[in-house]
Amino acid sequence: MKALYGLYVDAAGAQRAFDLLRSASSELKLRSQQIVVVAGEPHEGYEFFDAQATSTPYRWAVLGAAVGGTAGYLLTTLSQKSYPIHTGGMSLTPAWTNGIIVYEMIMLGAILTTLVVLLIGAGLPNFKGVIADPEVGKGKILVGVVDPPEGLEPELERRLQQAGAWQVKRSATLQP
Amino acid sequence: MQTTAEQIEQDLLRPLFHSSGKYWIAVAIATSLLLAGVAAFGYQLYAGIGVWGLNSPVFWAFDITNFVFWIGISHAGTLISAILRLTNATWRRPVTRCAEAITVFSVLIGAIIPLCHIGRPWLAYWMIPYPSERHIWPNFRSPLAWDFFAISTYLTGSTTFLYLPTIPDFAAVRDVSTGLRKKIYRVLALGWQGTPRQWQRLEVAMHIMAVVIVPVAVSVHTIVSWDFAMTLVPMWHSSIFGPYFVAGAIFSGIAALILAMALLRKFLHLEQYLRPIHFENLGKLLLTMSLLWFYFTFAERLTAWYGNSPPEMAVFWESIRKNFAPLFWTMVVCNFIIPVPILAIKRLRTITGTAIASATVVVGMWLERFLIVVPALEHKFLPYSWGTYRPTWVEDTLMASSFGMMALLYLLFSKFVPMISIWEMKVGLQSHAGVPMVAPAEGQVALEGPQ
Amino acid sequence: MAHKWGMVVDLDRCTGCEACVVACHAENNIPTAGEDQAARGRAKHWIRVERYWEGDFPNPRVRFQPVLCQQCDEAPCEPVCPTYASYHTPEGLNSQVYNRCIGTRFCANACPYNVRFFNFYNPEWDKPLQLQLNPDVSVRSVGVMEKCTFCVQRIKAAEIQAEAEKRELKDGEFTTACAQSCPSKALIFGDLNDSASEVARLASSNRGTKLLGELGTKPNVTYLERGTWEDANHG
Repeated sequence: MKALYGLYVDAAGAQRAFDLLRSASSELKLRSQQIVVVAGEPHEGYEFFDAQATSTPYRWAVLGAAVGGTAGYLLTTLSQKSYPIHTGGMSLTPAWTNGIIVYEMIMLGAILTTLVVLLIGAGLPNFKGVIADPEVGKGKILVGVVDPPEGLEPELERRLQQAGAWQVKRSATLQP
Repeated sequence: MQTTAEQIEQDLLRPLFHSSGKYWIAVAIATSLLLAGVAAFGYQLYAGIGVWGLNSPVFWAFDITNFVFWIGISHAGTLISAILRLTNATWRRPVTRCAEAITVFSVLIGAIIPLCHIGRPWLAYWMIPYPSERHIWPNFRSPLAWDFFAISTYLTGSTTFLYLPTIPDFAAVRDVSTGLRKKIYRVLALGWQGTPRQWQRLEVAMHIMAVVIVPVAVSVHTIVSWDFAMTLVPMWHSSIFGPYFVAGAIFSGIAALILAMALLRKFLHLEQYLRPIHFENLGKLLLTMSLLWFYFTFAERLTAWYGNSPPEMAVFWESIRKNFAPLFWTMVVCNFIIPVPILAIKRLRTITGTAIASATVVVGMWLERFLIVVPALEHKFLPYSWGTYRPTWVEDTLMASSFGMMALLYLLFSKFVPMISIWEMKVGLQSHAGVPMVAPAEGQVALEGPQ
Repeated sequence: MAHKWGMVVDLDRCTGCEACVVACHAENNIPTAGEDQAARGRAKHWIRVERYWEGDFPNPRVRFQPVLCQQCDEAPCEPVCPTYASYHTPEGLNSQVYNRCIGTRFCANACPYNVRFFNFYNPEWDKPLQLQLNPDVSVRSVGVMEKCTFCVQRIKAAEIQAEAEKRELKDGEFTTACAQSCPSKALIFGDLNDSASEVARLASSNRGTKLLGELGTKPNVTYLERGTWEDANHG
């Protein structure tokens, strides 16, 4: 896999480049998945970033909490009923005490679900290869194209430069 | 802005690549303390809990004191990281990771202690509900079973809470490393790239975790307090224990955090990142918690004294006037009398001042746990079986080794993980109009925002 | 009707001789702690005779109170055990299951009567006392809690015998080691559900109180006592 990208000093420049690539994607025969933005930090307030906002993890977390709570309820109540051992004059399935276990299982369900949803949603772990550049760590934002179509590379390069790139680079292999 | 972002990465990654001799000496000391504890534990396994100072009726003493102490310390991260995240307090940025690290390691130590203090530690796994042909099953009505669930959930949650925002920083380390180090951090970073989709997902996950971890933390220390409050022991059977312990935990947690930050600042040369304003703000929080602690302690003791119930008064006077009076009043001095003036007077609320106040608070809070556990157990309902307690060298060693373990874990963490969140500091750069988040180094002018 | 084991302790008869303590040690394989361990507070007496003094020489008054596990109906030691090692049997006993005990010692802290004991070390007997161990009672290993069981081995043996002979258990057919050895018959053991038993009759006596009854533990041991010391002196 190859990549052709421009490095931009600020999010405004990155937004310009992104808009440029997107609007020219049919002309330059690019699929939207080929356009890549890489940054060393989140950039709220810019469309290329905000467009990726999502609220599905919240719903998954609620679902996970419900599943956890149900599991906690079944774990406590069913096991207490099926193997009845009396202690201290309490009922076999006291709601107060079982409720504590249910509560903890609700929270655990939400936590584990959030973790799994993050990993899946962010595509992690991903060891296949990513575009990366040391300048990203120094604050630049990378906007570019993976596997640019043959022959259109000079045109792409020109457009990236036009958007105000600090530098335009190619990389032959992706960083593992 | 590029210069400062670059500077951030350089400064915060430096400790991973360079260590001073002092660092290795500290590691050596911490390791030897830990090994001493392992040896003491081995002796205890061989000979029996009799090598401790426990007796009838004082069946819990140092073991439970240290357990509650370490779980209490863990509330540092939750408060600072989660609550300040949710309230958008931007000054928290350099502080979150050191706080979250304290949380994970102290919960870990707090989880290990009960496994080691039971009479037959090799059977501790019976606390896990697993299908067993021998019909071994935990009793969900027992506060210790609640402890197991709560601490497991909290450990899972706080580890997740620590690990998730560290992924981009692991990627940053990966990108500047070579060889074996690069391979290790590649795995730790899970192949993180930094696309907007990934950042959005991470931020949402952190938001959910922040919302969830706060009630978990509150529930954990409440449940730990219920190890005491669910019994009928005089001065234990009090409904105030839940909130009292949570407030005390946040109190000791902030103090531990301030101490850790002061040490990190000095030894990792993070003077530009952990600035006086951070210690000021944490100092104000510590002051609030000190006042709150005093309020809870006063309320608990006043109601006992006013009610004048003989079993409770026996325990009460032990702490206030009799055998435990020196420890009790030391605790009051350490938790209230020394910290409040230091933290309330702006001139004294410096880094050194808050560090001193924090050190006394850590001592005072350990004493508070001890004074909750032992005087009450020494004086239960039937005076004939009242007893006394003195720790033995085994318990002292185990306690010291818990501190050694904490120090070692923290030292190793600072070597392998940037102690301050690099990407969050960079976000701080962009969102802070006017006042730079990072103090400029001498002679350098910090750029103030996107240009 | 199921049995409900209970005991009556007549404080007006107790002389404080502690024969019950010795008998309990012998019956239940309880080792003596030794001088050093006893000084450190680790003596294990499943039944102990508490002595409370009032007044000075030449007229001190002393009161003896044998305290053993009260086998509470609502025992505070039972819900707190994380492994169900302490639970309530259908016959009203608070049972300690040594095999399930992992030694958290929570039950001992929860017990208001301080009648639960922990094996801080493996038990040892001075020779030749190890030869007189009761084969019907397990020897508890280090790390395990123990307490008075109302001599459950004797209860079980009597129940098994009665079932084999296809008859009901008779009151007085067997008793606990402490009650058996009390010279003044201050300890009476039996089935509270058997209205004809001596323990049922005495438990409803107007001299009867429960130790720490105000805590709501509903103990099955009733203490008989005719008034306070002052009354005893003047009456």
